[in-house]
Amino acid sequence: MIAQQLANGVVLGCIYALSALGFTLVFGAARVVNFAYGELLMIGAFFTLTVMQTLSIPFFLALPVAMVGVALLSVALFYLTIRSLQRRATTALSGELQVILVTLGLLYVLRETANFIWGTAPRQMDMGIHGIVLFGKVVVTKQRLAVMAITFLLVIALYGLLYRTRIGRALRAIAQNREGAAAIGLNADRITAFVFAVSGAMACAAGSLLGSLYAVESDMGSSPLLKSFVIVIFGGLGSVPGAIVGGILIGLLENLSGAYVSFAFKDMITFIVLIVVLLLRPAGLFGRST
Amino acid sequence: MFTIAMLIAPLLLGDYQAYLLTLTVIWAVLALSMAIVLGLAGQINLGQAAFVAISAYTSSVLRLRYGLDFWLAAPIALGAVIIVAALMGLLTLRLRGPFFILVMLAFAEIVRLLIANWQDVTNGPLGLRDIAPPEPLLGLHFDTKIGFYYLSLVVLLGCMVGLSLLMRSKIGRLLIGVREDDVLAEFVGIPVMRNKVLGLCIGAFVAGLGGLLLGPFLTILAPSQFTLFASVDMIVMAVVGGIATLAGPLLGAAFLVYVPELLSFSSEYRPAMMGALLILMTLFAPQGLAGLASKLRIALTRHAQHDE
Repeated sequence: MIAQQLANGVVLGCIYALSALGFTLVFGAARVVNFAYGELLMIGAFFTLTVMQTLSIPFFLALPVAMVGVALLSVALFYLTIRSLQRRATTALSGELQVILVTLGLLYVLRETANFIWGTAPRQMDMGIHGIVLFGKVVVTKQRLAVMAITFLLVIALYGLLYRTRIGRALRAIAQNREGAAAIGLNADRITAFVFAVSGAMACAAGSLLGSLYAVESDMGSSPLLKSFVIVIFGGLGSVPGAIVGGILIGLLENLSGAYVSFAFKDMITFIVLIVVLLLRPAGLFGRST
Repeated sequence: MFTIAMLIAPLLLGDYQAYLLTLTVIWAVLALSMAIVLGLAGQINLGQAAFVAISAYTSSVLRLRYGLDFWLAAPIALGAVIIVAALMGLLTLRLRGPFFILVMLAFAEIVRLLIANWQDVTNGPLGLRDIAPPEPLLGLHFDTKIGFYYLSLVVLLGCMVGLSLLMRSKIGRLLIGVREDDVLAEFVGIPVMRNKVLGLCIGAFVAGLGGLLLGPFLTILAPSQFTLFASVDMIVMAVVGGIATLAGPLLGAAFLVYVPELLSFSSEYRPAMMGALLILMTLFAPQGLAGLASKLRIALTRHAQHDE
């Protein structure tokens, strides 16, 4: 019983980790708390579904196409709204608050646009993988194993991107010291746009996986958004390993508290643990205190 | 002049118009509470809806389940809001920037989930029903639409007068000092933490006043009214109206109640409009409608001077 709960928790945690990665990347490199992030997940799921249906190709071929689409959308949103705010500093509200207001506005606009295009009814998305695998007494569906495998691949790809490529190094430089990076001639705008693209692609992958496990619908974005907040606080805002560990921890916490404490109160327990963690370690479990 | 118009307006209008006016006034109280947090504490508080919910639910539960009078339940509910706000303030205000926002969001979710799951007291997701208008007080009756409108208006005007007095007082200046530069404020000996908590409590108190009116006005309360989006609605109104002036939130509330009404907008498009407005105002008119109005006035006087 407990082994089964642990297994379920890890699978759920993988998707959570994947959703939180795109969110934490944007915060780390651009200092943007992106409230529209959950809607990118939702739109990603709809993109994948639409590509699957119009080209009648399977999930795994449609996903990369949709990821490119959401990456472009994310970059477009950055250039249209957030960039101009980051350039203009002092007004009635500080720049950081204004960026938050704009992303909150984007949350509404993106959700309503999705409602308009795709309607409000939930839809099914078939990944094309069926059946179960038994590990001793623990039952795991093959679909969930595929979800874990995709998460794993994407995390490796992300690490490769961050640590093995030129733009990845530039990105980490910007995250560590914005002024310093600008001083040695890095183009902050272009790199930030790149981060938004990567973040959009990750959101699309996470949303499509969630959509294939549950359902694709226009209000599927708010739960992953809240989860991403909790995870990045657990793991430290802007920290990539923190997001992965945090995601799996939250997945486990939710499954165990849902099974052994109270299903109705499982989300509440997560939020209470979050507040306790923040009080003991204000920069998150793995965060540096700056 | 505006005040006089708001005082006599309902006498000339029908029931539905009185309803819209009351809605505007209650939203204005809530938007004002958000403007206080934005303006005085320099923070976005996504937990503001939770303070509204605590006040609305505490007062309504006391009335429905324990038969308390509205006027007895109100101070208890407000007391509860202030205690919770002070506790949250002490816990969270040492967190910086995004952490404060995220924790208040988590707090709002805890409150909402508690209301949704504490079936015995709150009736869960179905909510509380048949909340009566406030009992008569000092010979005044509030069981008509007009009577309740005046009660709401008194609350709003009271808040606005109270705030303008506060801003001119020593406490108001201290609060602004802390918002502008808390390190410097600490350095010159201002108790920063105490002032931040105070700012949050004042905002929560006004939100609580709005919450008291909400139950009798809507006659039903449900946890779905107090999601993140309720807080965002308050932010949109405060930002659209402008947070730098006291009239701003009222202007924002009036704009967002009447514009969809006049365009006979289907309510489907309301969220999209809220979002688009929030983006456009933040990008192009961060001072809000009040700021635009004063710019227009300056431009017009210049124009008039040119003509002479």
